[in-house]
Amino acid sequence: MTHEFDVIIVGSGPAGVSAAFPLLNAGLRVLMVDGGKKAQDALPTESFLSWRANDAFQAKRMVGQKFHALKMHEAVSPKLRVPSLSYVFDQFNKENQIESENFISIGSLATGGLSNAWGCGAACLSSTELMSMPFPSSEMIDSYAAVAKRVGISGGINDDLSDYFGLDEWSQPPVKLDKIHTHLLECYGRKKIQNAFRNFKMGRSRLAIISKDHNGREACNSDGNCFWGCAKRSMYSAVDEVNILKKFPNFQIENGFIVEKIVKEEGGWRVEAKKNEDKVNCSLHGKKILIAAGTIASTRLVLKTLGYHDSISMLSCPTAGFMVWFPKFLGRTLESSLCLGQLAFTVQVSKNISAYGATLPASCVPVSEFIKHLPFTQSNSISIMRYILSSCIVGTTFFPGIYGRSRVLLDKTNTLNISAIEHPDRRALINKAKSVLSYSYRQMGGLLLPRGFKEGVAGSDIHYSGTLPMSENPKVGETTHLGEIPAMKGVHVIDGSCLPFLPEKPHTLTIMANADRIAKKIVSQSCA
Amino acid sequence: MKIAVTGATGYIGDRFVKQAHAFGYEIVALCRKRPVLPCCHWIPYDLSSSQQPIIPADTDFVLHLAIYNSSNEQHNSSNDILAAKLLITSAKSVEAKLIFLSSQTARPDAPTAYGRTKWRIEQLVLENGGCVVRPGQVYGGKSRGLFGELLNIVCNLPFLPAFFPAPMVQPIHVDDLSLALLRIVERLKFDSGVVCLGSIEPVTFTEFLRTISSARLRVSRYFVPVPSFLVAVGMRLAGKDSSFERLRSLFDLPRMATESDLQKLGLLLRPLNSGMHFTGDDKKRRLLIEGRALLFYVLKGKPGSSSMRSYVRSIECLRGGDAIELPKSFVRWPFLISVIDRRYALTTSWHKEFLWRLNAATIIAEAGTFGARRFLGLGEPSSFAVSLLGIIRAILSEAGLWILSLVLLPPIRVVLKRKQVEKR
Repeated sequence: MTHEFDVIIVGSGPAGVSAAFPLLNAGLRVLMVDGGKKAQDALPTESFLSWRANDAFQAKRMVGQKFHALKMHEAVSPKLRVPSLSYVFDQFNKENQIESENFISIGSLATGGLSNAWGCGAACLSSTELMSMPFPSSEMIDSYAAVAKRVGISGGINDDLSDYFGLDEWSQPPVKLDKIHTHLLECYGRKKIQNAFRNFKMGRSRLAIISKDHNGREACNSDGNCFWGCAKRSMYSAVDEVNILKKFPNFQIENGFIVEKIVKEEGGWRVEAKKNEDKVNCSLHGKKILIAAGTIASTRLVLKTLGYHDSISMLSCPTAGFMVWFPKFLGRTLESSLCLGQLAFTVQVSKNISAYGATLPASCVPVSEFIKHLPFTQSNSISIMRYILSSCIVGTTFFPGIYGRSRVLLDKTNTLNISAIEHPDRRALINKAKSVLSYSYRQMGGLLLPRGFKEGVAGSDIHYSGTLPMSENPKVGETTHLGEIPAMKGVHVIDGSCLPFLPEKPHTLTIMANADRIAKKIVSQSCA
Repeated sequence: MKIAVTGATGYIGDRFVKQAHAFGYEIVALCRKRPVLPCCHWIPYDLSSSQQPIIPADTDFVLHLAIYNSSNEQHNSSNDILAAKLLITSAKSVEAKLIFLSSQTARPDAPTAYGRTKWRIEQLVLENGGCVVRPGQVYGGKSRGLFGELLNIVCNLPFLPAFFPAPMVQPIHVDDLSLALLRIVERLKFDSGVVCLGSIEPVTFTEFLRTISSARLRVSRYFVPVPSFLVAVGMRLAGKDSSFERLRSLFDLPRMATESDLQKLGLLLRPLNSGMHFTGDDKKRRLLIEGRALLFYVLKGKPGSSSMRSYVRSIECLRGGDAIELPKSFVRWPFLISVIDRRYALTTSWHKEFLWRLNAATIIAEAGTFGARRFLGLGEPSSFAVSLLGIIRAILSEAGLWILSLVLLPPIRVVLKRKQVEKR
């Protein structure tokens, strides 16, 4: 099998598709290769509360025919237990030869990558943050605009977090809030005037969820199925954009193609893989290769090609989850509503460090997720949760990637080993955020439940980045301002691995904008 | 490996053929009717035809299970012996080894012609380097053979005899027997000799019938004590009536030493109670009982059948399929499970497994419409007062259970420890 392409993109996640659009628009011949795993289960068409109350076969959706939810009993994230999302994470570590002792490695071989199971948080880097990039900020701002318009962002409203997200210019209006979050926002506005908050800001979440129909996807109707799969496709997933890419005559996609090797040859590069379950040897030829397989898989591919066996550093965001109870809402009837971050917040944990988070209603996540954290017997925990759940919200807090540093090493058998290292300031930082959050929600009538703040352990951090950071003068283990590896001319890393730093705020849009920027530069270079 | 089986459609033959096929053996069925299983090659064979059976040249083993059945005992005996001789000749002609399924009653001075015939055939087989298998009381599976007759009796009679002194039997499940026959085939060094198979410790015939009624038929039967000497008198008066002949065998069964043969074959026979269950073991039933108790505890009400089935399948798929044997009191009063529903209540591996299963039951219980009511209160009235009372009730219940656990945990620890020792 021999093909000739101008560019081969490895991976069909947000970075891969973002790079594909400018290349295809410029008329280049683009091949995208990916693991090709696809969703198998039908998505719910009724609202969450409706199918919970009436569907006699809901166990298939909640537990899975092969008991996926039970198999993943020990997994850190509830999303890893959702049966319909099992294909997203399936076989990633095995196929990519990734091992970890104290690190939970997550990646995807699915078309669309991890965007099939993400929280849809969207944000731009601030001008100060962009200063640390090895290229002019204006390049990124153009790409942010292009990507945001393409993806469809909601939450555009003038509030305390407008500057923090920097997306309002290209955003649709926010999705409807539920009663507790409406109350929270009102309360926040009222108390803010009285200077009731210290180091705490709140506003609408900016989400890659559309509140108006966009690109063939339907607007969010707050049916509460975000956790279980959105039949309206209101939540952005790169898989929807792959379908748009397929309409380009100069685009081709190879599914089930897990790249094992990149080999230099005259006039370009060859990617080799064992295709599909039959493991048929395949090789494809391209003038340039853009690697967007997700930070961990991309890093392994590059280190393997370079034959680099020294340990390198990886950034990831530490997280903490919490539950807040609002006694005022005790006995409230449950309502269907958006089950991703409805409100976002920032916490200033020290002079230059802030944490970011978002809150959502507690009722759309399985109750069994909370029961295990309560200090009561299972039976009484269920009774208590049943009565307080409708008056609770849950939230996740993210901390800057520098506090989730881990080491990545390709051993002699080409297995990538990842080990987490606990940052000495991590605990203090998280505790500080806890006290700010506890105080702030108390001001708004909420109580952080006892044992209701759970700090993610080192190794369970998310948003992997920075293994091959872009640099103005790249040294060994770094890439150029175009994510190009100096020793592999024509091979660019365009996903999270080339980000030189990882903020606490959602980073997916930045990865997409950077991929768009690099692709545009490649187009202009090829035209020149 | 190719095995020719006579009586392949009979009670034991049918199970053996299925099991052997599942293990990858090639089967040649020597019988009158074409077997239902399409997997085996059929050669028409009638034990009474006095003709030498034609066995394929590449046959490795001949398993002789067939017996001749007519009302004429003398005729039966001569036919069986002639058929065995012809089969031995056929097996020898293709250099196949012969395994003969005999009987516990086989001996030269057996009180019945059946026992004496079996012994004579045994001698022929042993002289020709074959292997003889003497099974105890075969039971389980479909209602066929002698087991089928006993099932019918227990099913149809409300009163059953409890002979005293009680005759003893050594039961073996039909699938265990099939497996034993396969193990004999599999043994690299094929030994000639007699293999005795049955439970190591005999059980009374009354116990055997009682297990049929309770575990298989789920009916209660009254057992009327009958002195054995009265039966002996009856048998003498009735003469050589065939139905009494079988009873004569029962009262004259020699005890077999089966332990060493079972060990040699690496076989652990299933317990009678378990094997008597229609499916061949009562694992599923035990899991259903366990699942019902855990789900009842979590849901505070009777669980639906789909949740219980789901629980059983999950344990079969993910945890090996064995029940953890909850104490009977937990099964009867599921709220008592709260005594050990604390992470640090016990520190045994049993308790770790219990917590995993309780968590599984919680996840399964939640995933249903009943679970939506219990976990989310969907379809139930909700108000501030109702919720507040609900929380207070749960906290008071928790306090009560905590006190209860202080009292009950020590004896429950002892019960659980004893159960573990018994299991080992």
